[in-house]
Amino acid sequence: MAQSHTFDFDLIVIGSGAGGSAAAAIAAREGKRVAIVEADTFGGDSPNWGDVPTSALLHAAHLFDDARNASRFGLRTTTLGYNYPSIRAWKEVAVKRTGAGGNKKFYEGQGITAIQGRAHFLSPNEITVNRHHFSARSFLIATGSSWIVPEIPGIQDVPYLTPRTILEAIKPPKSLIVFGGDSYGVEIAQLMAIFGTKVTIIEKSSRLLPHQDAEVGELMERLLKDKGVEVLTHTRVLSTQQEALAKRVLITRGNEERTIKADEILIALGRTPNVDLGLDNASVAYTAKGIETNQFLQTSTKHIYAAGDVLGQTETKRNSTYSALLESRVSAHNMFHKASIAPDYGAAPEVIFTSPEIAQVGLTEDDCKKRDISINKAVAPLNIIARSNTSDFRDGFVKLITDKKGVLLGGTIIAPGAGEAIHEVALAIKLGLTASQLADTPHAFLSWSEAVRVAASRLS
Amino acid sequence: MTTESREIVKRGKRTSEPFQTDKLKSSIVAACLSVQAPIRQAELVAESVCHHVIAWLESRPEVTSDDVRRIAAKHLTIHHPDAAYLYEQQPVTI
Repeated sequence: MAQSHTFDFDLIVIGSGAGGSAAAAIAAREGKRVAIVEADTFGGDSPNWGDVPTSALLHAAHLFDDARNASRFGLRTTTLGYNYPSIRAWKEVAVKRTGAGGNKKFYEGQGITAIQGRAHFLSPNEITVNRHHFSARSFLIATGSSWIVPEIPGIQDVPYLTPRTILEAIKPPKSLIVFGGDSYGVEIAQLMAIFGTKVTIIEKSSRLLPHQDAEVGELMERLLKDKGVEVLTHTRVLSTQQEALAKRVLITRGNEERTIKADEILIALGRTPNVDLGLDNASVAYTAKGIETNQFLQTSTKHIYAAGDVLGQTETKRNSTYSALLESRVSAHNMFHKASIAPDYGAAPEVIFTSPEIAQVGLTEDDCKKRDISINKAVAPLNIIARSNTSDFRDGFVKLITDKKGVLLGGTIIAPGAGEAIHEVALAIKLGLTASQLADTPHAFLSWSEAVRVAASRLS
Repeated sequence: MTTESREIVKRGKRTSEPFQTDKLKSSIVAACLSVQAPIRQAELVAESVCHHVIAWLESRPEVTSDDVRRIAAKHLTIHHPDAAYLYEQQPVTI
């Protein structure tokens, strides 16, 4: 008879963010003995340092900006102002309301043993946390990712901000240079520009938001320039240097080198998976780009699963809180059930909470080109629908992509409330609907979603 | 907390032992000397590697010998790839 092992827990989840907490809660509900280990703040990045606080600050900023520009509607806005400490206090309220943010008891209340400390594998079934050893039958690694610090000469000697630390700033800096023009960089740039910061974005690609279609980045660049943001595409940073209280950045653009100065530098060049937790001791295969798993999120050690940003990004999956939650649920299912399932990223929407919002789902036009898929596409500018007249807002569009049979493959919306409107496109893609079926769906007059119907009807 | 108070956890039922900087330094120097590196260069490389390992250990109170070997080899590769190869193979060759 095989020897039976006793373990401290049925499941130890390493990381309490979106990738870990859902699985821990599911396993605990099923009566398993579960522990969750967190090296940083309980709740992980999204509620504490990512989506939630950024969204709360952006909400306040967009309200302020809308009100400031509301004189054309007959509103008196001359005495409008803001108090940044109060805005930060509002952000803290939003974080607290999530329940999970910085709250160990949130997990303990669900019957999960919550352990504060850095986990390190000693063997495939054992970890150490603060010199205490814990064993488990299964593990879920959900350690997330960290902001990349580029290897730029002088960067280690110059204090810099990340999208995490800038949220804790006492007040917006007078001037800011943002390294990186992808979603985080653009969101923070707009946020700070609204509060009066002179912002410069440096992006090495030919446009902002290089993972989106060209017209998205081009429109966003124009809108940011309207807010006074300087956008330097095709630009590389050569070195950084502290000069009195300011930071001096040497850049190259074309064949020309020049120096720009600012009070602060923000590094928003993407994230790298946190894989330094003794994975070799557990025989878990990984690279600097993330932990390797099969389609069921099982690592090379069969009782150890991984979910969230620690998996890195692939062609079919972009890191987001939604993806991490999906993977967490899938991992929990696969750990304790015989029939394994794989996460389906096909209709996972991505939203950038700028003003106007940018939302994308399915394949972009660039994705289709890379995969050599023949497509039809249609763009409906916002200014052709009635809502753009009543709201006096004309910058934006809906772009839909179908295959040659008319089946929807992807969609991009830039509009106020695009984060809501994208879900009908997501549903259509998930259900394999055609553009014609989407166009036949009633859309309320004077809703922004009318532009979705117009774009779909152009493909019918 | 000093680095000497970091514990190196051993496999099986062997008791753990404190991390010893001198022990690591000696093994790096030995690896460098084995590939004909001059003694002063070997010492400088060993000091640099130990510095990186100690920094890595700062937030880790308990690690395995393999962890220390892996991190040391990673940094030794930057200074002396041949010595790093030998250092990584040491448990096999001895």
